[in-house]
Amino acid sequence: MIDGRNEVFTFIVGGKAGEGVKKAGSVAANLFSELGRNVFLMDDYQSLIRGGHNFSVVSTSVSEITSHYMKADIVVSLDKKSYDIHKNHVLDDGVMVYNSDLLQNEQGLGIPITSQAKKYPRPDLMVGVSAVSILSCAIGLDREELEKIIKREYGKDTENNISYAMNIYDIVHPKIGAKFNLNGKNQDNKRPILTGNQTIALGACTSGLDIYFAYPMTPSSSILHFLAAHDQDLDVTVIHPESEIAVANMAIGSAFCGARVMVGSSGGGFALMEEAISLAGMTETPLLCALSSRPGPSTGVPTYTNQTDLGFALNSGHGEFPLIVASPGSIKEAFYLTSEMMSLVWKFQTPGIILTEKHLSESSMTVDIDVGKAMWAEPMSHSEGEYKRYLDTSDGVSPLLFPPSNELIKWNSYEHDEMGITTDEADMIKKMHDKRKRKQDSIIEHLKKAKTVNIYGTGRPRIFTYGSTKMSVLEALRYGKIDATVVQPIYLEPLPIWELDKFIDSDSVIVVEQSSFGQFSTLLKDKVGLEDVIDIKKYDGRPFDPIELSEAIKEVI
Amino acid sequence: MIDDLTTYAENTWCPGCSNFGIFNSFKNAVKKLEEKGIRKDKIIITAGIGNHAKIFDYLKISGFYSLHGRSIATAQGIKFANPDLKVVAFVGDGDSFGEGIAHMIFAAKRNADITVIVHDNGVYALTTGQYTPVSEKGFKGPSTPKGSVEQPLNPLALMLEAGATFVARGYPVKGEHLTDIMVQAVEHEGFSIVDVLQPCVSFKNTYNKYNEITEILDIAPESYNDFDQAISIVKRKDKLPIGVIYKSQNQPFHKGLYGEHNPVLNRVSKEEKRGMVLKFLKNTEE
Repeated sequence: MIDGRNEVFTFIVGGKAGEGVKKAGSVAANLFSELGRNVFLMDDYQSLIRGGHNFSVVSTSVSEITSHYMKADIVVSLDKKSYDIHKNHVLDDGVMVYNSDLLQNEQGLGIPITSQAKKYPRPDLMVGVSAVSILSCAIGLDREELEKIIKREYGKDTENNISYAMNIYDIVHPKIGAKFNLNGKNQDNKRPILTGNQTIALGACTSGLDIYFAYPMTPSSSILHFLAAHDQDLDVTVIHPESEIAVANMAIGSAFCGARVMVGSSGGGFALMEEAISLAGMTETPLLCALSSRPGPSTGVPTYTNQTDLGFALNSGHGEFPLIVASPGSIKEAFYLTSEMMSLVWKFQTPGIILTEKHLSESSMTVDIDVGKAMWAEPMSHSEGEYKRYLDTSDGVSPLLFPPSNELIKWNSYEHDEMGITTDEADMIKKMHDKRKRKQDSIIEHLKKAKTVNIYGTGRPRIFTYGSTKMSVLEALRYGKIDATVVQPIYLEPLPIWELDKFIDSDSVIVVEQSSFGQFSTLLKDKVGLEDVIDIKKYDGRPFDPIELSEAIKEVI
Repeated sequence: MIDDLTTYAENTWCPGCSNFGIFNSFKNAVKKLEEKGIRKDKIIITAGIGNHAKIFDYLKISGFYSLHGRSIATAQGIKFANPDLKVVAFVGDGDSFGEGIAHMIFAAKRNADITVIVHDNGVYALTTGQYTPVSEKGFKGPSTPKGSVEQPLNPLALMLEAGATFVARGYPVKGEHLTDIMVQAVEHEGFSIVDVLQPCVSFKNTYNKYNEITEILDIAPESYNDFDQAISIVKRKDKLPIGVIYKSQNQPFHKGLYGEHNPVLNRVSKEEKRGMVLKFLKNTEE
């Protein structure tokens, strides 16, 4: 048990890529959700297909939980490396279950995970199933319940998987049977478990997404894979072209026809889209981009997390044009925010970026989603009379008309007149700059009436954070019983200074982010005028652990 | 000349520029296509950046003035969103075989149902005369004052190998002939490329050369799908044959992807779309 968060139960499974570690993590998450528990699942994996070390952490609770804990009640190590890495991640009253075929006389419970699997045709691929067995047994599920789970979750080679799972169960049961009985203690409220990338995709669909364009790049690829797998169920066309440059330019072409489009990538791929972001600014194209960060610069560390693309996102595209950047602070928020951003980019006809991180994109949580509360993207349409694509209006937004039409519709990457014909005439250049600037002002006016900052608590200190780190901060406060005020700007461009400046404090404030340069902290200092700032930073690719973060916060208050 | 296909934009091509020929041939092609039942409002144009692209401002036809090299990507995005439209991408040789070559090759590879018209003058004219991917070895320009040391690409051989299903070459001096090629290219279902030999009066005047070595192709339509014949035609050096060189039938990309669907015309209602998301969430819970 974790002191202070007794109701939290954590399961870690570790092994080599290809052994079914990720699958075991996801099965465990479903199993906990079925028991009515809240679930947070974090997958830690490397950029390889076989070997190495992968692990999944599933932390669960009857109350709200927004992070995994790196202290587990039960750890299943499928190989030696996992044992070595995770032996310090076992709680005092927890259990380490290790593979007795590969290790002997270690602390914990040795189970012949490999030799039991050798009775079946593909032993190396099935060892992950043992972790599900061990967990099920430890939390008090019976053999029938386990059989149901395996049948449902392992579609391939089901009979062998069931047989293997039962053998492991029978070996484990006399030793730790129902050691952590979670059965019957929980609420009866099973909810879907979704990753952040799934809620981004579903939020986009709920707002009317017609076409998703992307080139594979971790950690954004699972948006592409998810939408491609469900294209007909969700009425979405999914296109994977030759490069991110093609992705962004094709998406802009589709938006010209009235298609609600989204593109997705990570830092390097998004860098290739920059020219098109500027193009969308000039042509006033509604273009929604999902940018999921991993540690850079350059190729960096593909399968890990950080928040170092903040400055990049805020300064996307050359030239001056209205750009909207928002970052969801939880997997659930990502759903509503994506629909809101789709609606905003269509309302204001300009590019928008959903800035997120691997930790949100690829972690999973139990979430309640109310589809009815999402936004729907609806363009302002031209009604009658001569059509001018770039009609100079008081709010800077020109009505849209899509082909085919008897009116002339010209979208132009060059500076242009109201008809969309190229110009280099001084008065027209100024007029169009003024129009785009008025549009920027209209966006700010609009956001002033919207919810742009999330606030949690009323205590001191004041903690500023954003994106997925918000989830870590809230869990750290829960764990540490710290009464603070958490200030999380949802919008980062335009930055809601009108809200944030209410939280300028005479005492020092804490800024928590995953960046070594402290980009978020710098932004707040520059734009909001925060002065006395204590930075808590993490930039090793791993998300904050709530226990460590709570200690770090306590140290500075 | 002001007509119903010409805008009010001031024309700034050099006097004698062969882009005028392409402009007029295309306007005539639009009229012929209208006679054949293809509505003008369903023809959409895109352009890259360069002297070729000024045609975007001059043509009174809806479309998208794209970026250097990206005209073909934009054109495909338009086609895939609304396959009812006939999309024509105007490109330059530097634009499409330099900066945007990946889009050119992939559009041909996936047989995207668009028409690409290459204003092929072998020089970056708007930036004052540098060599392009199709300029001959030894070409002297401001970036290669001692002469280019690279071999040129053969654009049509490349397009044939990439999978283009309609390959043609035209010459604006033979205006009616070019119009006829453009009409066939737009009518063709699949990726069409028309390489237009385009003398540049300011930086690379090839009128005399082309007047001498172009010859109108006379091949039997039933052998249009003879790939080896097409390759040998585009590789000829003594003569530059003009006309339709290759034509074959293959499923265009959008039909392979979603059949007869049309993402913008057949988009479901807000209620239906949300019903779909709800259904997905419900299935996830079970």
